Amino acid sequence: MEILRVENLSFRYPGAPREALRKIDLAVGAGEFILLCGPSGCGKTTLLRLLKKELSPVGEKSGEIFFEGMEQKTLSEPGDIGFVRQDPESQIVTDKVWHELAFGLENMGLPQGVIRRRVGETASFFGLQGLFRQRTDTLSGGQKQLLNLASVLVMQPKLLLLDEPTGQLDPIAASEFLSTLQKLNRELGLTVLLAEHCLEEVFPMADRVLVLEDGALLAEGEPREIGPALSEIRRDHPMLRALPSAVRIQLSLGGEGVCPLTVREGRDFLERNFPDAREEEDKEKDEGKPTPSEDGEVAAEMKNVFFRYERDGEDVLRGLSLSVKSGEILCLLGGNGAGKSTALNLFAGLERAYRGKVLVGGKPVSSYRGGSLYRGNLALLPQNPQTVFVASTVRGDLAEMLQTMNFTKEEEKKRLEEISRSMGIDRLLDRHPYDLSGGEMQKCALAKALLSEPKLLLLDEPTKGLDAFAKEELRALLVSLKEKGMTAVLVTHDAAFAAEVADRCAFLFDGEILSVDSPRNFFSENSFYTTAANRMARGILRRAVTCEQVISGCRRAVEKRGKSERFSDNGGFAPQETEEREASKAYGGEGGSE
Amino acid sequence: MRGNAGRENAFSRLHPAVLMTFFLSELLLTVFLPHPVLQAEALVGGLLFCLLLWGGEFLRELGFYLPLFVLVALTNPLFSHNGVTPLFFLNGNPVTWEALLYGIFLAVSVTGVLFWCKAYSRVMTSDKFLYLFGKVAPRLSLVLSVALRFLPAYLAQSKRVERAQKGVGLYAGESFTDRIKNRLRVFVAMVSWSTENAMEVSASMKGRGYGKKGRTNFSLFKFTSADGVFLALILSLTALTLCGAAAGMKNFAFYPRVSRVELSPVSFAACLSFGLQSLLPALWEGKERILWKYYVSKI
Repeated sequence: MEILRVENLSFRYPGAPREALRKIDLAVGAGEFILLCGPSGCGKTTLLRLLKKELSPVGEKSGEIFFEGMEQKTLSEPGDIGFVRQDPESQIVTDKVWHELAFGLENMGLPQGVIRRRVGETASFFGLQGLFRQRTDTLSGGQKQLLNLASVLVMQPKLLLLDEPTGQLDPIAASEFLSTLQKLNRELGLTVLLAEHCLEEVFPMADRVLVLEDGALLAEGEPREIGPALSEIRRDHPMLRALPSAVRIQLSLGGEGVCPLTVREGRDFLERNFPDAREEEDKEKDEGKPTPSEDGEVAAEMKNVFFRYERDGEDVLRGLSLSVKSGEILCLLGGNGAGKSTALNLFAGLERAYRGKVLVGGKPVSSYRGGSLYRGNLALLPQNPQTVFVASTVRGDLAEMLQTMNFTKEEEKKRLEEISRSMGIDRLLDRHPYDLSGGEMQKCALAKALLSEPKLLLLDEPTKGLDAFAKEELRALLVSLKEKGMTAVLVTHDAAFAAEVADRCAFLFDGEILSVDSPRNFFSENSFYTTAANRMARGILRRAVTCEQVISGCRRAVEKRGKSERFSDNGGFAPQETEEREASKAYGGEGGSE
Repeated sequence: MRGNAGRENAFSRLHPAVLMTFFLSELLLTVFLPHPVLQAEALVGGLLFCLLLWGGEFLRELGFYLPLFVLVALTNPLFSHNGVTPLFFLNGNPVTWEALLYGIFLAVSVTGVLFWCKAYSRVMTSDKFLYLFGKVAPRLSLVLSVALRFLPAYLAQSKRVERAQKGVGLYAGESFTDRIKNRLRVFVAMVSWSTENAMEVSASMKGRGYGKKGRTNFSLFKFTSADGVFLALILSLTALTLCGAAAGMKNFAFYPRVSRVELSPVSFAACLSFGLQSLLPALWEGKERILWKYYVSKI
C-alpha cells in the first residue's frame, strides 16, 4: 500500500536564483525503509521539510504531495508524520524526560490515563525507564537523540522522517540509534524516510535508496543497484566516495557480480576474486608515509599528566605521556570519555593538570602569559564550529580577529583576502555563520583559527557532521597546511578519516596512551577499532587500512596475474580496462534523472 | 543518615496539593498565632522533620541556627524595656522578665519558621509547584518548563563559546579589558544563538502538534487514598486550631504582663491538634521508614 506520493514537486526559496528541488516524483509504500542521500545542499532537508506540512519552508512550491491518498492541505493530524532533525539539543522542548515524552500527547489533547500509558510504554521500548524522571540537560547526546525519536514515536506516527539524525553522535551512539530505527521498521512496520551522509552502516539497512543531486533525483533503486547506477552515469561520480567501503572497493575493482554492501559481503568478494593478493603484500613496503621516528623536533608534549575535573571526582587522565612531533598530523582515537578532548584542552591551556608537565614549544603551557599561547603558537577548534563565530557575518568574525593583531588597514585587508582564497571561502564571507553547512562552517572556523598563525593546530572532532566531500576537502586542507609546516593534533572517532590523514595514530584508553603508531601499523594491529576497509581485507591484505590501499593491493595482484597468465586465458578476473560492466546493464535504465 | 540528600523521602511523595495545603497551614498558623505553646510545637515539629530529612548534615547546620536563636532571644530584652518585672538594670535601663520571655518567644518563632521554610524548599520542588500552578494557568506552566529547559542549555552554550574564543585566540588575555570584551562578544553571540535556538525549538513544538485546540496537561502525580487521608487530617487539625484561636488564644500578650496559658478545653484541644499537625511530617516519615525496614527484612 502506498503511504506517500510526491508528484512533480519543485521548490524555490524566496530570492534564490535556482530551484532547490526540481520535479521530484516519489512513491513510498507503507513499511518501506528509504534512504535519501546526496551531497550537502542537494535538497535533502528541503524535501523532507516539505513532506511535513507544519515544517514546510516558505517559498514557491509547485506539484502535489499526497499522504495516505489525501492532499497535504487537508491533513489535520500532525502526529501522523514524525520528524527528527540533526541537532539533538535544540529539539528538546521541556526540562524533564517524562514531560518531553508527554508533550506531543498533551498537544493532541489526550486524557491523563492515556498519556500515562503511552508514555510508559514508549519509555520502556526505548530503554528510557532509568532516565524517566531526569532533567533533559543531564542526558548525553545519544540519549537526547533517542529521546527525540521516542517523543515523536509516542504520537504513533505512520511515517517517520529523519534529517541526518546521527550527524552529531559518536559512532557507538549512532549505531545504537540506527539499530533502534531498524527495529522500529522491522518489528512495528513503521515507514522510514531517512536522510544520511554517513552511509557505511545504514546503506545495507535500506529497502530503497534515493540519490539527490542539485535538487533533482539522480538515481533510485535497491542499495545494491545504486553503486553501479552511479558509476554508469559517471565513472568517477563524486557521490561514489560517500558509499560504503565494500561498494567502493568492488566498483573500483571492476564491479564484478552482485554488489557487496556489508563488511562480510565485501570480504567474500575479495576472497573470491583476489585470493592471490596475499603473497603480494609481504613484499610490499610501507610506501608513502614515513614511519614515525623517535627523534625530530617536538612541537608539544605531555609528561605523566594527571587530570580530574573535580576534587572528589575520578581521574580523567592518569599518567598520560604523549609527544607531538613538529610537522606531523597526529590523530587521537579512543572511546567516549577516554579523555581525548580533555587532552586537547590541556594543550590549549583551557584546563590545568594537577600533576605532570604539559609543554608547548618546549615551554610549560602555564608559563605563557596574557594570551601569548594563542598568538602564533597554537589554536584549538572545538567540536561544534558554531561556537567559534561571534559576529553576524563570516567577514565580520575574521575582521575582528585581525583587528586585535595590530596590523595596518591594508595588511588586514590583504590577510583577509589571502586566507579566504587559500581556504576557498570567498563566496561565504558575507553569509551568516549559522546559515552555512557543516563543511562550510568548519572551513570558516579553521580560517579564523589560522589568522593567529598557529604552529600547532588542535582539532576536536573536525569530521563530525561532515559529508564525504567536506571530509575530502578537509583532508586536502590539512595536508596542504602540513606541507607549509603546520603540526596538527586531531581528536576523532572517524577511523577511516584518521587512516587517510594521519602520520601517526594514538589510542587513548582509561586516561593513558596505549599505543602510538603509523596508521598502517596502528589499524592493522587493532581488530575492533579499525576501518571498515581493513576489517574487510584483513584475511588477504592484512596491512591495507584505507579503501585505496585495498584497491591498489588487489590491482597489483591482478597485474602480476596478467603477466603470468597472459597466454593461458583461463578466465577468472579480468582487469577492468578490458571489462565491459555487464552487471550494471540491468540497472542502467533507472539511473538517470527524469 | 548520610547520603540522604539525593533520595526522595516518603513525605515528599504525597500529592503536591496536599503538601501545599500542609505548608500553607503550618506556616500561616505559626506566623499569625502568637501563642507560646503553638510556637514551641512548630519549632519542635520543624526541627524533628528537618533532622529526618537531612540527618547529620542538619545537625552541623544547627551551628548556625543556635547562635541565631540566642541572638534574637537576647536582642529584645536589651532594646525593649517594656514589662513590669525588672530583673536588673543595664546602663540605667531595666532589663525585664517580660521582654526576655518575649525575646525567647520571637527566637522560637523565627527559627521555627526558618525550619519549615527549609523543609518546604526541599519538599516542594519546582515541578510540584509548576503542577499546581498549571491548574490555574496551563500556558504558564509550559512556559516555565520550556524556560527551565532553555536556561541550562544557554549556560552550557555560552561556556562553550567563551572557551572557543579563547581557543582561537580572540581576547584570550587575562587583562581586564580582554575579559570584558570577551564577555561582551560571547553575550552578543549568545543573542543570535538564542534566536536560532528558539526557532528550532518552535519547529520541534509545531512538528509535534503544538498550537492545536484542547491541549491537556500531563503530570506524574496521582492523588491516592493516602493523600485523601492526609488532607482530611490536615484540614480537621487546622480547623481545631482555628477554633482555639477564635476562643481567645490569639490574644496572648507579653506586655505589660505575660498572659497565663489558659487550660480551657478548647485551647487545650487547639494546642493538641496543632502539636499533632506539626509532628505529622516527622511521624509520617518515621512511619514510612519503619515500614521500609520491615519490608527490607522480607526481601
